[in-house]
Amino acid sequence: MATPILQVRDLRTQFLTDGGIVTAVDGVSFDLYPGESIGIVGESGSGKSITALSILRLVPDPGRIVSGRVMFRDQDLLQLTGEEIREIRGRDIAMIFQDPQSSLNPVLRTGFQVDEAMLAHGKSKGEARARTIELLKKVRIPAAENRYKDFPHQLSGGMRQRAMVAMGLANAPSILIADEPTTALDVTVQAQILELLADLNRELGTAIVMITHNMGVVAGLCSRVLVMYAGEIVEQGPVEQIFENPQHPYTWSLLRSIPRVDALRHERLRSIEGLAPDLLRPPSGCRFHPRCPFRIEKCYTDEPRLQEVAPDQLAACWVTMERARKEMGADELVDIRPGAGSGVHKGELSD
Amino acid sequence: MATAAAVVKRPATLQQASLWSDAWRRLRRNRMALISAVYLVLLVVVALVALVHTPYSYREVGVARPYSGPSSANWFGADILGRDVLSRLMVGAQISLIVGVGTQVLVLAVGVPIGLIAGYYKGWIDTVVSFIINVFYGIPDLLVAMILLLLLGPSLNNIIIAIVATRWMDMTRLVRGQTLALREREFIEAARASGAKPLKILFGHILPNSLGPIIVQATFGVPAAILFEAFLSFLGIGVQPPTPSWGSMAADGLAAIRIAPHMVIAPSIALSLTLMAFNFLGDGLRDALDPRQKR
Repeated sequence: MATPILQVRDLRTQFLTDGGIVTAVDGVSFDLYPGESIGIVGESGSGKSITALSILRLVPDPGRIVSGRVMFRDQDLLQLTGEEIREIRGRDIAMIFQDPQSSLNPVLRTGFQVDEAMLAHGKSKGEARARTIELLKKVRIPAAENRYKDFPHQLSGGMRQRAMVAMGLANAPSILIADEPTTALDVTVQAQILELLADLNRELGTAIVMITHNMGVVAGLCSRVLVMYAGEIVEQGPVEQIFENPQHPYTWSLLRSIPRVDALRHERLRSIEGLAPDLLRPPSGCRFHPRCPFRIEKCYTDEPRLQEVAPDQLAACWVTMERARKEMGADELVDIRPGAGSGVHKGELSD
Repeated sequence: MATAAAVVKRPATLQQASLWSDAWRRLRRNRMALISAVYLVLLVVVALVALVHTPYSYREVGVARPYSGPSSANWFGADILGRDVLSRLMVGAQISLIVGVGTQVLVLAVGVPIGLIAGYYKGWIDTVVSFIINVFYGIPDLLVAMILLLLLGPSLNNIIIAIVATRWMDMTRLVRGQTLALREREFIEAARASGAKPLKILFGHILPNSLGPIIVQATFGVPAAILFEAFLSFLGIGVQPPTPSWGSMAADGLAAIRIAPHMVIAPSIALSLTLMAFNFLGDGLRDALDPRQKR
């Protein structure tokens, strides 16, 4: 196997709030290979966006990256000077954001903003302009020459996100980080943008890190997936394998909660019981235990580490779905309230 | 078919209107702002004409009988030394405009960069800037201006400097506040993520987004500066004789207000009209540049 283009090791990012320290990203490690496309999924507040921002050192105040390494081409991005990391941003690692409406400067012409991504990295005005038109065509913006002069508010949401993608690709980066790029768009436009990203990934060999809460997006675009919960990676592996055979109860619940077109009409929408944990006071032991249907006593006290549960597949769970299926009848379980499968309700009010 | 195409095309051309042409459209519909703008253009023309021609020399004494009222030879009468009041008003307009516009140019040159840097970098720079602003707000304007004019001497340049010293804080605070809000916006984060240099972010992304409020603030700053200059000249520490300022002309006339009221009334009306015009224009610009107004 080729060497990874990006190696994240034990990344830890904290926010110093009035209430105390919130560890938004807690010891995240993963590899990204050239031309690969990985998905990072999780609920709001699981730390997936902060992980992405930490890679480029764009964590907003009062956040601090407290430890870890982000190795890119034999250099640790976390050790670079401000000017060195600025050079990396947009040139080697580009990022596109959730809401194209607010990520484009409303008072500057769209094409000009794509130019700027190149001007920041030493291209001349003429070169930039010519390439911008080419890029706008590449992201399938019709009448690119005319759209160049348009202000963002004159474009549709899909066009704006295409322009953002063009901006991201301006310097032919080796990695494109996409932070929920389709969340703010209509479903049909979502599909077009995903298709565009998949094509670019194939044609240009740009590695893609897709941050999303939508398992469907991951299935369509990515070859590997990392599942995050409460700042930690709880499961990772090849997409098909994870979809086929999730081993962490959280991943299992996430997949179960995708509405199905072929579901029986009277069937209720399945959700995961409970709320994402308060990271100011994360739960003891496994962070998912307060919401987990298959928790055992050990989950309350001991924190599980990621370990291989199948070839290339890692999960951080004391039980794993294999055991839950065999011993707790997970597949037949309709009621998935906490402790429902295992019958462990230690420390709850009902006890 | 042709008509259908024309109908479809129309919203597209309307949409082409950029932020500025939108604002211009709204401004044109504001009658007071428009009248004010016309008045101010005329005032500028008068001030320019005064460079090459005035009915009489503004400093020539005895062109009419002292204290004489308005007549066909001296439209606005004559002053205590028999100088033509109209000619002096015209030269006074130059002074007022130079002071008003000059201070705002300097206020912009000081306030915009300091406000941008303080708002963007926050931390100790912002603490220091905010502290200095508060100190300046704490000292009475008149005291600052008087001390500076005593130290520097009462030339036109020094008057401008003295007024800037009392007026730079508003602009700095405005730009700082705008920057503090804008720096958290997603497009600034996107610019950072694309590797934009800090100076580019400040002047290429944040500044263009705050131009509206800055223009309005500067427009309101002009009459404030004109009034302050008139006040300083009224007190005798502003523009020195024989150069006329509307403020010193009013002060001269005050002594003779019973026998020659035109000496006070003429400069006062000129001053009031000008202040009103700038304020109406500022109001109009504020409404026109407010993006929430979608009329």
